[in-house]
Amino acid sequence: MVTKGDKILIVFILISAVLIFAGFQAYGFGGGKTYAVIEVNGQPFQKISLGQGGPKLQVKVPGVLGESIVEVDKDKVRMLYSPCPDKDCERQGWASRPGQMLVCLPNRVVVKIQSDRAQNDLDAVSF
Amino acid sequence: MVKHQKIIYLSLLVTFGLVLHIIENMIPVPFPIPGAKLGLANIISLLAIVMYGVKEGLTVNILRCLIGALLTGSMSSLLYSLSGAVLSTLMMALFYKYFRKVFSLVGISIVGGVTHNIAQVTVASIILSTFGLYIYLPFLMVIGLFTGFFTGLAAFFISQNLFITLNKFNLPGEERIKR
Repeated sequence: MVTKGDKILIVFILISAVLIFAGFQAYGFGGGKTYAVIEVNGQPFQKISLGQGGPKLQVKVPGVLGESIVEVDKDKVRMLYSPCPDKDCERQGWASRPGQMLVCLPNRVVVKIQSDRAQNDLDAVSF
Repeated sequence: MVKHQKIIYLSLLVTFGLVLHIIENMIPVPFPIPGAKLGLANIISLLAIVMYGVKEGLTVNILRCLIGALLTGSMSSLLYSLSGAVLSTLMMALFYKYFRKVFSLVGISIVGGVTHNIAQVTVASIILSTFGLYIYLPFLMVIGLFTGFFTGLAAFFISQNLFITLNKFNLPGEERIKR
């Protein structure tokens, strides 16, 4: 019923699946570069590239109310400190995916995550 | 007479395939991977290839896809299923014709399942113009392997019983199964 050729075929397909998977893992799938774009009052302030080899730093952003501190940790960004009264921006936590945004409305500081690939990224696709 | 018998048999196969297609659509898929499904209709296309040949297998499978898409109301998935059906039927026919000594129906069904998934992913990535979908390919290949294994087993048992039945009533198709 299951011949020797079948078994060889099964093993071959399993190995090739593992190899393709390993290849994607090793080379990373050309996800494009992502950037954190910090804007103050609608004007671009600073652009920081994110990723596994990205920087780990804190950026002082002069806003309307005072100085916000944006923390960048390799591939994610958060609002570490803000002088605004309600601290909603600090509570948003980390942002890492393209399209995500950190907004501090009182201080007029916005951090957008952008990608150089797929500007018009699809939200969902039905199969 | 034989010609009409054959047409009736092919339409019966299409009907069986449609029923399996519709039932399969009702079964929820436990994997969060788009395109992963049981592929029960593969049993029928494999049987059509074994009983009648490449041309008839293609006819049965393409008709099944077209009518199935109309019945289940997902025309957008027609492109994926049609491309997968055509490529997998061709590959299964090729393997059945030239490597029948090496692979049993189980192996041929596995080839069909995996090529179906490869064609599907390729067409999907062309339509969505992103090659990121290929990251699903290893998972789809493994799923296609398992579903292909079981549909192949089903096709194997069916073809054995079908041979006895067709032989009893002296109907077309049996001489091809016997070979």
